Amino acid sequence: MNHRYFSALVSAGTFLALTASAEEANTQASNDLNSSLRAFNPAVSAIIDTYLYSENSEEGMSHIKEEMSGFGHSHGGDHDHDHGTAENGFNLRHLELAFSAEVDNYFKALAIAAISEDGAEMEVAEIETTGLPWGLAIKAGKFFSDFGYINAQHSHQWSFTDQPLMYELIFGSHGLNEKGAQLSWLAPGPVYLLFGAEAFQGENEKMFNYIGGEHLPEHDGPRLGTGWMKLAPFQFDKSELQFGLFGGTGVHQEAHDGDGDGNLDHWLDGDSTFWGCDVVYKYDSNKSYGQGDVVVQAEYIGRKQDLEVVEHDLSPGLVGKYKVNRQDGFYAQATYGILPRIRAGLRYEMVGLVNEEKTPSGGDFKYGDSWRAGAMVDWYLSEFSMIRLQVNNGEYETEDTGTENVWEGFLQLTVSLGAHGAHKF
Amino acid sequence: MRKIMIVLAAAFCTAAYAGKLNVVTTTSDLASITEAVAGKHAKVESICSGNQDPHHLQARPKFIMMARSADLWIRTGMELEIGWEMPVIDGSRNRKIRPGEPGHLDVSKHIRKLEIPQADMLTRAMGDVHAQGNPHYMLDPENAKIVATDIAERLAQLDPENGGTYKTNAAAFCTEIDRRMKTWKTALEPLNGKPIVTYHKSWVYFCNRFGLKIAIELEPKPGVPPCPAHLTRVTETVQTEKIGIILQEPWYSRKAAERIAEKTEARIVAAPTYTGSDPGAGDYFALIDLIVKRLTEK
Repeated sequence: MNHRYFSALVSAGTFLALTASAEEANTQASNDLNSSLRAFNPAVSAIIDTYLYSENSEEGMSHIKEEMSGFGHSHGGDHDHDHGTAENGFNLRHLELAFSAEVDNYFKALAIAAISEDGAEMEVAEIETTGLPWGLAIKAGKFFSDFGYINAQHSHQWSFTDQPLMYELIFGSHGLNEKGAQLSWLAPGPVYLLFGAEAFQGENEKMFNYIGGEHLPEHDGPRLGTGWMKLAPFQFDKSELQFGLFGGTGVHQEAHDGDGDGNLDHWLDGDSTFWGCDVVYKYDSNKSYGQGDVVVQAEYIGRKQDLEVVEHDLSPGLVGKYKVNRQDGFYAQATYGILPRIRAGLRYEMVGLVNEEKTPSGGDFKYGDSWRAGAMVDWYLSEFSMIRLQVNNGEYETEDTGTENVWEGFLQLTVSLGAHGAHKF
Repeated sequence: MRKIMIVLAAAFCTAAYAGKLNVVTTTSDLASITEAVAGKHAKVESICSGNQDPHHLQARPKFIMMARSADLWIRTGMELEIGWEMPVIDGSRNRKIRPGEPGHLDVSKHIRKLEIPQADMLTRAMGDVHAQGNPHYMLDPENAKIVATDIAERLAQLDPENGGTYKTNAAAFCTEIDRRMKTWKTALEPLNGKPIVTYHKSWVYFCNRFGLKIAIELEPKPGVPPCPAHLTRVTETVQTEKIGIILQEPWYSRKAAERIAEKTEARIVAAPTYTGSDPGAGDYFALIDLIVKRLTEK
């Protein structure tokens, strides 16, 4: 009976295939060939991200961010390309050239070259296991830490043109993106519970800077460890709520030119620690083209830096004294699909709700906070192109000029070429 | 003593559960067919509820939880799930259901695919065109037969003990399709050769099977929302070809169709494309029944 049925089906299939036009058969064969070839080659894509920018501050937003009370200056980072410092007029973010594929039966890999007008840099080169048992996975190479929510996202995935202020001030414009390894574990049980532990070399210019050399102690890598968890406790039909907790600690070193004569004159060495939480809520309206969809997300990060003066050319008496920095910040944002393929969004951010600095010479400063509010409308013409208009207004407390209110405007155009990417939650 | 009891009870539950295959399908129509084929030997869940557009889903933790314990993952394929499938499978850390493994089944394999674009002419300017062809093949009941057969074969491979049952069930499913096919064809006979308007290119296989002619879509290109200029063109087509039906999926706004219906004789038919999206479309047969009913009711 079964046999007869199957042979009937086979003959029906053959008949259909024969009656199909020869041209269509050719097309199908050549497309099948194309897709099988593709399967053995990495998916390649390139992201072009350009925007027009205008702001009305006295000395430029990049200057304000450098001078913001408590968050201080960067200490010798060597990143060639920069997302963060927008200039009035036309801006071009680095071109993200991405290659990804299953390596073999054991690994998958992703490599992203960040190409700017000044040169190229390896932004991501990650290798991840695909076959470990017990819900485990190991990732190694250079990658974005998976703590929090927005850190692991690339700039083209953000819902606003610019990065949340606290990320830029605490970790710099690249976020926490380092060489290292990660072990993550999807816990068994009825709810989604994912744990991760990461060890990194510790080369973040703002939080985990390493200088070493003749003035500062040597520390072998890995110099930074982080841990995080994500929990999605509910199995709602149309929406998802995910909570996260995270923290990290590592070595941090600074070198300063205290008298401004162009020569470094004091050096600090110590620990830097961050911690925080994040929450993401997404609602799927089941309407077409994203209309009615809601995404709400918020993150909080606190940080503390304990740094000992190890050498001081100007005031040797300060050696052995400590500089202690405590700052924090949060952002909260929401987007809503107002029309097919068009979203509107609001974001509010504060930094320096806690903003204390104890200096080695005994000074005990408490600085004020800064805030920024943003509104945006974006239009995804297709899966591959997006136009966004964004306006920010913020009040920033800086060390040199006090409080300054600044308006910023962005008109952004982002397109992606090549493979159709799939994004994580 | 109580401890031993608990351990025994747990072991018993696990054993009773272990007898069942855990199947996760990407869309609800595949879940319905799998249920028909597997009977009581499998627990079947679908990622997409019938109301959701499978092109656009988020790789949610909920889906990762569903995929985590799956023995078999069944997908429509032809890039329908390209935007979210791999993050779900990667996130689940379930080796068994990765593409290429026996626990991963792409049921488009034996389908005769329609609307395959000429590879050398293919550009993204054509909208959301899939290189392997139009992926909405499940609305042709003849294709459902091919899919049921493929599913039975894979279930038998994973669970040889019940292989005979799966093949018998698949054959019964196909017989039932054949039986209803006559009813469906008779019901749709008055529409044979008649032009209709559809919203998205979801109805190509259905219309191809039942002899309806798709004159134009409301979307100017697949995945591109209707724009005024294109709607004018649609209105003209409806008027000149005397089209009576605008057929659309439940998740699209009816505004565009209403604008055309106002100016013409055409009526709007909102019909489900997946099982479970309508109380009347509980399984695959009911789904096709309901589409036929909506198309033919006055």
